[in-house]
Amino acid sequence: MGQLFAVEIIYRGVFQKTLAKNITRDIVLAAHNEGKLGISFGRYGDAPERNGIPAKSFAIVANDEQTLQEGMAQYEPKQVDLTVVLDDTLCKGAESWAWYGLQPVHHALKPGHALIVVSLQDAPALLKTIHRREQPYKLGILKGVTSFSGMWVYKDDHTDVRVLGAIAKALPEIVSLQAIEQFITEKLKSPLKVTSAKTAYDRFMTIDVEAGAGNPEELFKFELPKWEDMRDGVSIKGQPQGGPYKDPVTGQVGGFRPARNELFKKYSSRTQRPVVNFATCTKCTLCWLNCPDASFDVTAENTYDVNLEACCGCGVCEEVCPVQDCITMVNESQFKDNRSQYEAFQKDKDAYLKWLEKTIESAVPIEKRTHGFRYRGQYQEQVPEALEVARKG
Amino acid sequence: MATLTMPVQEKKKVKIEDQEALITGAEAIAIACKLANVDVVTAYPIRPYDTVMQYISQLVADGEMDCEYIAAEGEHSQFEIVKHASVCGARVFCGSSGVGWMYAMEALTVTPALRVPMVAMVGNRALDDPGAFGVEHNDALAVRDLGWLLTWVDSAQEALDTALIAYRVAEDRRMFVPLAISCDGAFLTHSQALVKIPSAEQVKKFLPRYDRGDLLLHPDNVISVAPQANEDWVTEIRRQNYAVTERASDVIREVYAEFEHIFGRKYGNPFFEEYMTKDAEVVLLGMGTLSTPARVAIRKMREEGKKVGFVRLRWFRPFAGPEIAKCLERFKAIGVIDRDFSFGSPNLSGVVATELRSAMYTGSATRPPVLGFIGGLGGREITVPDLEKVADSVFDAAKGIAQPLTQWIGLRG
Amino acid sequence: MSTTFIDEKPTQNLEAFKGVKKVPHEEYYTSGHRTCQACESAQIMKLMAKAAGPRTIVLGSTGCMYVANTSYYATPWGIPWMHTQLGSSGSGALGVAAALRVQMRKGFMKDEPINVIAFCGDGGGADMGLGAISATMTHPDYNLLILMYDNESYANTDIQISGTSPYGVNTSFSTPGKVKRIMHHRWKKNVAPLMLVGHPTCKYVGTISTSYPLQAMNNIRKALSIGGPTFIHCLNPCPKGWDFDPVLSFELGELAVNTGIWPLYEVENGKIKLYGKTEQIANGRFKRLPVRDYLLKQGRFAHFVEDDIEYFQSKIDEMWNKWLVPGVIPLQKELDADVPPAN
Repeated sequence: MGQLFAVEIIYRGVFQKTLAKNITRDIVLAAHNEGKLGISFGRYGDAPERNGIPAKSFAIVANDEQTLQEGMAQYEPKQVDLTVVLDDTLCKGAESWAWYGLQPVHHALKPGHALIVVSLQDAPALLKTIHRREQPYKLGILKGVTSFSGMWVYKDDHTDVRVLGAIAKALPEIVSLQAIEQFITEKLKSPLKVTSAKTAYDRFMTIDVEAGAGNPEELFKFELPKWEDMRDGVSIKGQPQGGPYKDPVTGQVGGFRPARNELFKKYSSRTQRPVVNFATCTKCTLCWLNCPDASFDVTAENTYDVNLEACCGCGVCEEVCPVQDCITMVNESQFKDNRSQYEAFQKDKDAYLKWLEKTIESAVPIEKRTHGFRYRGQYQEQVPEALEVARKG
Repeated sequence: MATLTMPVQEKKKVKIEDQEALITGAEAIAIACKLANVDVVTAYPIRPYDTVMQYISQLVADGEMDCEYIAAEGEHSQFEIVKHASVCGARVFCGSSGVGWMYAMEALTVTPALRVPMVAMVGNRALDDPGAFGVEHNDALAVRDLGWLLTWVDSAQEALDTALIAYRVAEDRRMFVPLAISCDGAFLTHSQALVKIPSAEQVKKFLPRYDRGDLLLHPDNVISVAPQANEDWVTEIRRQNYAVTERASDVIREVYAEFEHIFGRKYGNPFFEEYMTKDAEVVLLGMGTLSTPARVAIRKMREEGKKVGFVRLRWFRPFAGPEIAKCLERFKAIGVIDRDFSFGSPNLSGVVATELRSAMYTGSATRPPVLGFIGGLGGREITVPDLEKVADSVFDAAKGIAQPLTQWIGLRG
Repeated sequence: MSTTFIDEKPTQNLEAFKGVKKVPHEEYYTSGHRTCQACESAQIMKLMAKAAGPRTIVLGSTGCMYVANTSYYATPWGIPWMHTQLGSSGSGALGVAAALRVQMRKGFMKDEPINVIAFCGDGGGADMGLGAISATMTHPDYNLLILMYDNESYANTDIQISGTSPYGVNTSFSTPGKVKRIMHHRWKKNVAPLMLVGHPTCKYVGTISTSYPLQAMNNIRKALSIGGPTFIHCLNPCPKGWDFDPVLSFELGELAVNTGIWPLYEVENGKIKLYGKTEQIANGRFKRLPVRDYLLKQGRFAHFVEDDIEYFQSKIDEMWNKWLVPGVIPLQKELDADVPPAN
């Protein structure tokens, strides 16, 4: 049997759909320049994609037809030679809507192989969020601004070719830099992109991550029931009604905490989270009322505490909040856990407000955010900055 | 005609409160719906089934039947309305014919997995194109793989009795699946015969109230029904429906026994009926009203010394595979008369012949030849001489003279 | 005539919430659905459930909000909910209403008013299910509401043209190409007026927007209380299909109203009432914003050239300046030639 390689791209549904598809297609086409064969596909269970919900795309490459069939004989690769994560907030784990609970980003990565993350953070920071695993692996960071766009308008910021460059460095057996350069020159017809790919190749390196290093969080486990144990009539039990909120510090009872779906929590869709200033909250209800995910608990004193397992980080609460800086969306990579902000506030108001002030400093102003299409011409404005980060490496 | 097809009365003492009436098969089913106190009925016009809906409309107007009677704007809605009503606990009735049944196909497809005990009447009709009003069985047979229970009746009496049996079977908690009663267009839907109508009290004894239990869609039972499922679940959900089909035969047998006990009419083996088969060398087999010319032809041939019998298949789903294979293995050859077609099927036969061959392959020790005959399409009459010709061919096969596996009856050419 | 054959059943008679602070805390469509970030369709589902309360049965026809809102074994619903086929919101609602009514009449079920709502998308409501909804709207004696959420495409299947997709929009079935910039040249179907003009039986038809949540809930409560079949059309900005940063969901809902593209009105027992900014536009108290402000915030219109924007504007102007009932009923005394821009 010849050699068989699988690459998986973990990305944000819709926001990075075109990007991920381009990368896996380009891998196959570039490798074909070297006489290899391959296929490229998105994980069918992730479709139809939803904005932000983690998804996967694959490239499988082999040097002969029969070996390729070995790779194609599976619904999706059980093990991959390379995992690429296109948004570093995914390092906290991905809950696709194709399975139950979080999967670590290196879930399918072969021991000793490389995990490539597009990020502005360094390895120690990322390793605080990437779950620990029993086998060692390699971690490589492709320095870059997360590339987000949508269904119709693609932000061409060279993330695709930069990832290709990094792949050629991490796994030259699948595709060489020469093949990638040739592909970009012939198909994408962009000398600048050739340079971007080559720069990424030259600068890309990995560090060894030892077994057991990383985020110790225990992951949710779900066992699929037997057919006899499932209700018939394709029916499932609905959600119970919630009840009053009990203040974690004062014990005061009031407000409301809804029951929530325990089997699908939406937080791994989140790239930013609301940070709430309970001191300036006017209890106007708008964040709570306008949240499509019912993620706010109504506290005993009628402020609104976001449940960070339910929140998917859309930012509507920030948009509708009438008080300046009362709700601020902050990049998810700043946070280590999903603990209640209100509880922290109640425990020590001064400390919380100090933390809040410091935390929201890093917030990107709404008009500069790179979280999808905001106006025509926005991407053209954003691309030079992204390229500049890429150029500096 | 009615006396020929009437099942033999039982001798055991049962208080019979029947009244007699001269009615069509469609009217008989309408009366069964009244007796069953059906809650929601949806109608849409298409010949020939729709006379049942005309009768029900009259029963409602005359205050004899209390139900929501809804004239839908198409068959798809017709079946969707009762599907939803059934999930909300109502006993429902519906029906269609030919392409009308096919227009409802999506709704027909989803009901078995939802475990909806809908009872429907199919007035069998040829599928378009060309538009034709006459009988063919391809309409009802189109749902044969989806989890529906399918039965064919051959008399107005049997139509009435089977409609009552149908509710009892479909609404059994072990089942909860849709059931279609097929009546041959014209022969049964539009011709009147003497029928014994049981009393409401007897029916009440036989047919308990439909109880949807923990599957009821109601604010007191907060459930989500039929959420989107990925490949982690669908195999198991299909297996649940398969389990229903595993149980179906036993439930049907039980219900027929109970029917006999309460009403005194005896149907014998619920799944198929044998006529003059005891000493037969060969048999003909078919469904529905074919039984009448078949019986006449059999008697005529018997007079000529030909040892031939007839088997009428009453239930197509569940298909009594092992049992019918066991029954048929004693004959030297079998001729299956299909009032349907299955273009491109193995041996290019009709649906019943194809199914029967499959049943015989695993269920019979002898595997006698099974010849397929396609006839009576678009409502064309299958005559006694036609059946004699069919029997001749089957006798030849029994003698070892090679016969085509599929032949067309009464084809000009 | 002393007797009527129309047998109206009482409704729950849900009164309007008097202010956001009076909105109940209970959630009947809670967290844990698999919708996009800032999904306004999920938002209207949440508001609808909140407005209707616990004695309600909801049917969800196939579409984005079937596939994403409830996944097997993991439901966010706290009231009974059932999947309904794509074209069946009308017939499904009718079936449920009929079942409740007859069982209550016969004494098989406790006699009480139960809300019946069928929730369908523009694909299910304005395209495939239109006939069934139309039939249902003619039944005077069943209390039910059809709520059509409109994200202007078949969003679940990755955004294809529906009967309510706006002119010129980029969808998977109308992607601009090298020769044709505009592949979709049909104008959006005017669904609510279709319901109100065609079905005199229907006592309540209205339009709502998720950007006005309290108003939306109160209109839903009114529709559920008035009796008989009712219809509400809700415009739902869709971050995925319309291609915008999810944070803009709320703002785009407002812009659709403020540009006059999405008029807000309700027709109660035949009497029309424009409300919110729409009413101000009609009375000349608010000047419509240019449609450009709305169009250019969405990736789906990114291919528009000036001619397209102007044409779009001219059609909205026509709606307000020439229609006999401005923004609602497209009857005109005189017709201008319709000249869409060339490719």
